Amino acid sequence: MLNDIITPFRAGFASDAHTELRLHRNTRRGVALLSGSLVSNERTEHSGVSARVYRGGVYGLAADSGADPESITAVLKAADENARFMNSRAGRGKPALPALEGGSIDSAKPYDDVPQSVMIEFAKQLDDYIVKNCPKLTSRYVTVRCDSMEKLLRVDNGFDSHSLMPRSFIYLDFSAETDAGVTVELYDVTGGYGGFADNFTDPALLYPFVDRLYKRIMEKREGVYADAGERTCILGAEVAGILAHEAVGHTTEADLVLGGSVAGPNLHKRVASDKITLVDYAHTTPQGVAPLPIYVDDEGTPASDELIIDKGILVGYMNSRETAQHFGMTPHGNARAYSFMDEPLIRMRNTAILPGTDKLEDMIASVDDGYYFMTTNNGQADTTGEFMFGIPFGYEIKNGKLGRAILDTTITGVAFEMLKTADMVSDRMDWTCSGMCGKKQPMPVGMGGPDIRCRIMVGGR
Amino acid sequence: MNKDKLNNAAEYALQALKNAGAEKAKATVFGGSTTEFNIDGGEFSLMRTIFNEGLGVDVITGGRKGAASTNAIDRESIDGVVADAMTAAESGEPDPAWDIAPYAEPRDFPGGVLEFDKDALFDAVRKLKDDIAKGWPNILIEQLIASYHRDYSVKMNSNGVCYTGESGRYEVGLMFSAHEGDKASSFFGSGVRFTDPTQPLIDMGSIRADLDAVAKQVDPRTFEGKFDGTLVLTPAMFGEFIYLAMGNFTSDGVIIEGTSPWKDKLGKQVADPRLNVRVAPLDPAIVCAERVTGDLFVSEDYDFIKDGVLQCFPLSLYASNKTGFDRAKNSSGALIVPAGDRSLDEIIAGIDKGLLLGRFSGGQPGTNGDFSGVAKNSFLIENGKVTDAVSEIMINGNLADVLMNLRGISRERVADGGTVLPYAAFDGVTVTGK
Repeated sequence: MLNDIITPFRAGFASDAHTELRLHRNTRRGVALLSGSLVSNERTEHSGVSARVYRGGVYGLAADSGADPESITAVLKAADENARFMNSRAGRGKPALPALEGGSIDSAKPYDDVPQSVMIEFAKQLDDYIVKNCPKLTSRYVTVRCDSMEKLLRVDNGFDSHSLMPRSFIYLDFSAETDAGVTVELYDVTGGYGGFADNFTDPALLYPFVDRLYKRIMEKREGVYADAGERTCILGAEVAGILAHEAVGHTTEADLVLGGSVAGPNLHKRVASDKITLVDYAHTTPQGVAPLPIYVDDEGTPASDELIIDKGILVGYMNSRETAQHFGMTPHGNARAYSFMDEPLIRMRNTAILPGTDKLEDMIASVDDGYYFMTTNNGQADTTGEFMFGIPFGYEIKNGKLGRAILDTTITGVAFEMLKTADMVSDRMDWTCSGMCGKKQPMPVGMGGPDIRCRIMVGGR
Repeated sequence: MNKDKLNNAAEYALQALKNAGAEKAKATVFGGSTTEFNIDGGEFSLMRTIFNEGLGVDVITGGRKGAASTNAIDRESIDGVVADAMTAAESGEPDPAWDIAPYAEPRDFPGGVLEFDKDALFDAVRKLKDDIAKGWPNILIEQLIASYHRDYSVKMNSNGVCYTGESGRYEVGLMFSAHEGDKASSFFGSGVRFTDPTQPLIDMGSIRADLDAVAKQVDPRTFEGKFDGTLVLTPAMFGEFIYLAMGNFTSDGVIIEGTSPWKDKLGKQVADPRLNVRVAPLDPAIVCAERVTGDLFVSEDYDFIKDGVLQCFPLSLYASNKTGFDRAKNSSGALIVPAGDRSLDEIIAGIDKGLLLGRFSGGQPGTNGDFSGVAKNSFLIENGKVTDAVSEIMINGNLADVLMNLRGISRERVADGGTVLPYAAFDGVTVTGK
């Protein structure tokens, strides 16, 4: 755990500017077996200190991988110099940021950072099971990835905090060949918040996870190409989660609104059917602790939930302190930095479309000729809300019944148009937090959703 | 930046690895600084300065490999990294394919511009911002990052390899979109790497052409129907397609596993005979490119595809040893494609139905090369002319097939400091509208 060597430097904060000082450490551990060969076996530590100073509507930031008194003094000085340079050349004459209520939250709990040998042995046992029970695979990856992010934050106003967010996951990537010799691939991931030892105690507990992926790739070997065109389909919970994040969430980040996103002209307007409500949760969801709980952001704002779409109406943006001032909104703790050298950016935390009241089986029965898209391996969207998701697995729906598996395809649409066609929403939902969102910096995020029936463009072949 | 400190850290780490029992070891130390100016939502927002150092070590013992890295290079941290790498190796499985580069003469590779001109960079960015406001009034800069990077590295291994290098470079990357009332284009990104911040940024790389294109995409029309036609790739898109082919058909994993459709294509035709792709970090147009590979071999230029024939699999040393194929002569992405003999306009004039593709929003193609995704920032080509900007259009095809169906390569090329690429047109792509 980080030692608090930064608190004494609070006395050196400039009295006429807003200052943040952050000690920050990231770790990554990785192990990968490619068809039994250990092709990756790595441990990474990345830490340092940064200071950010706000003057006249512009920021100065400085960061150093050293974390000693000399470095801390130097980054505070350099950050202020950078802020003064920017204010003198491009200052916007803005007033100071509205003061926040003060306080302190320490949510950091230690975890067992296991040695590589534990992860390797676990992966090998899982790989042995795959070899014995998945005979038709042509290639297999078993990958263990663990990361953590620990931050100690001191601010001139707002909440001081100490947080530690470990995640650990196991990825399986399977390849198989069709009878025609064409390779098909499928992957899945399991794990979540917590260290490796918290999430993975016995390889046998993952055998059903292996079996499910093998069953799916065997079905995909016999799969068919989806027919291109706009169709009534069901987006599975995993796909709905990435839709919530990529296609809607990003457009409602206030910095992207200022950058011209589609959410700008649509505030307080209908952007989805009344079946759709979307929330960015801070630390607690109706199901319990959020997949990646955030209690204080990296500007010292205590974190709370942000209601973004309420029964189809766009009602809010995610903000930093600065954008909240611009829009006259309340910041809810969305400004987060990935590494010690990064400035806090507006980021999602645990973003989800809320479940509805429909039963999945009724939803499938209601579709005459469409698809049930169950997983996604890629998602991109732009500030217009136009999105593209890769679909590596799903089924045809014919006359209200699931049919053959489909081969890789792509779905696309414009979020605020497509969501208006959402007419059934399942009463169950799934969460995932294996994703790493990209926006200048990477960032771990949680996302979730129910099954959604809607009209959507299918790429086909 | 204290070079002696960085050199000493590398030497200490290598010795510590040997002392810990490493049979073969590699240590790479870097130190440097980055200063950047940011524009967000069209306004200057941030100046950031980063001082960073780092150490990465690889160790092979008993045929087992481990690796670890950190960004602290005090002796205690180095000892910790060495212990982590040794522990990782001891946990691994023996594999005779792991190895390090053999001895070669020590060399130093200076490059770029070593003095940061802060005022010149700021002025260049402000001028670019003003140029865009005047020349393309419907363009909003969503984000611009202008930076200067200076770093020094020392790379050593237990066979006596020792390479050092100090370099400095400027980079500008910007994201922008066009807006008129509630209408908006998709966002688009453009960027350059350079050494002289006094030159106008608007004239570098494809920035001017990209702004021209996006400014016309503010009110794209949807397209109804489906056709098999010609895909004209902008230089940046052409580069992305080549990278996709390299990753999909010739990278370590697919060659080791034998799942690549090009696994038996070495020395054989994989593309139209007019296509030549060179990976050339030593080309004068490439700014501060790689001089030493990740495996610590001195980088050399190489041909990837020559006259349409696959010349090599760009493999790491490990994959080379594993498969028996030669390793790549560099691990950079410095693509150079020679110019064609026709102008872009002449190529387009011969196309009945097609799409000028500015950006592709799609996932990694399947191993067999099938790709599917959304065409972004794109224009229809109809009867030999570029017509309307379009949205909500999907394209599908097969990467291996596409490379065999080259229609033409343009005389015009774009050099952005990292690559030198022309426009390229390929037949046999399916375009689907609403």
